[in-house]
Amino acid sequence: MRDRCEEVLERLVEGVTGTVLPDERAALARHLAVCERCRDEAASIEAAAVRLRSAGRFVAPPGFWEEFMRRLAARIEEERVPVGARLRRWLASPRHALGTAVVTAVTVLAVFAAVRTAPPAPDPVAVRARGLVTATMTSSLPSLGATLDIWRAGLSQESGEDADRRERQGR
Amino acid sequence: MDAEDRQLIRAFARGEESAFTALVIKYRESVYRVARRMLGNHEDAADVTQEVFIRAHRALPRFDGRSRLYTWLYRITINLCLDMRGRSVRLPLLGEEAGARDAKGFPGAEDEVEGREVGRLVALAVSQLPPRQRAMTVLRLYQDLPYREIARIMGCSEGTVKATMFAALRKLRRALAGEGVRAP
Repeated sequence: MRDRCEEVLERLVEGVTGTVLPDERAALARHLAVCERCRDEAASIEAAAVRLRSAGRFVAPPGFWEEFMRRLAARIEEERVPVGARLRRWLASPRHALGTAVVTAVTVLAVFAAVRTAPPAPDPVAVRARGLVTATMTSSLPSLGATLDIWRAGLSQESGEDADRRERQGR
Repeated sequence: MDAEDRQLIRAFARGEESAFTALVIKYRESVYRVARRMLGNHEDAADVTQEVFIRAHRALPRFDGRSRLYTWLYRITINLCLDMRGRSVRLPLLGEEAGARDAKGFPGAEDEVEGREVGRLVALAVSQLPPRQRAMTVLRLYQDLPYREIARIMGCSEGTVKATMFAALRKLRRALAGEGVRAP
């Protein structure tokens, strides 16, 4: 009986809101005739639904729809402006001007700081020279830095001679 | 789909902006009433109504016509209202609800005063329902949508809508009884 009651009460919502087929409505009525609990529940739910429905409709204040249509047309027109132009207008508007200025300043400072603190690009000749230094050389030569300078200078010359040679061959 | 709606949508697709205006005029009040019941105040409902038609204008060329136009518009409305509920909304003013109601069904002056108070209590009870229950109640009781359409709008089964409606009506019945509101 309890399951039947649950089922009836769910059907009842449809009955109250007016979408139950006539034969289903008759079945509901038969159950309600013998079940006092469902009858009470049905009566109070129906009363709530009737009360809610009779509460009336909201209407917008006078003059609202004229203003609404004007604003809607303006916004639709706005949507037609290209994105770039909209962005420029947004950035230039007084409401967003301070934010735009702050974001621009922070971006400029961040780029400047990144450029200043970035490590210099490695000298290709120095990289080549470093590759020729072995652990034994490092331990046996106390002034390796000076040696490396000499090698670097030599390798630079070698690179220059190679270039001259290529130029002569080209002729 | 409604033949008139179909014609207007086709005309809009051909570039006739006036067809869109005709659709707005046809549905703006229904959309506003749903938003108003959902959000409880005129300002938020007006904002949502505006946004619904902006989105409709953008998406109408892609509308496939498989559902009714009003189902599609109500879905946008309910989603925007649920989003807005998630953020802060203006609270309904005491007595404001009554001021915006029409007097249908309340012919005499005394009835009108009593009706306004009841209308305010009903609106308050509806506004205290959880958002999805409120949406289904509004669509069923105030917009008279069939359960099948409500299920489409809410993205759930008809059974879920019926069960939710049942729970909502029980809550409303208790809330209204607590306020001493009886059936007319």
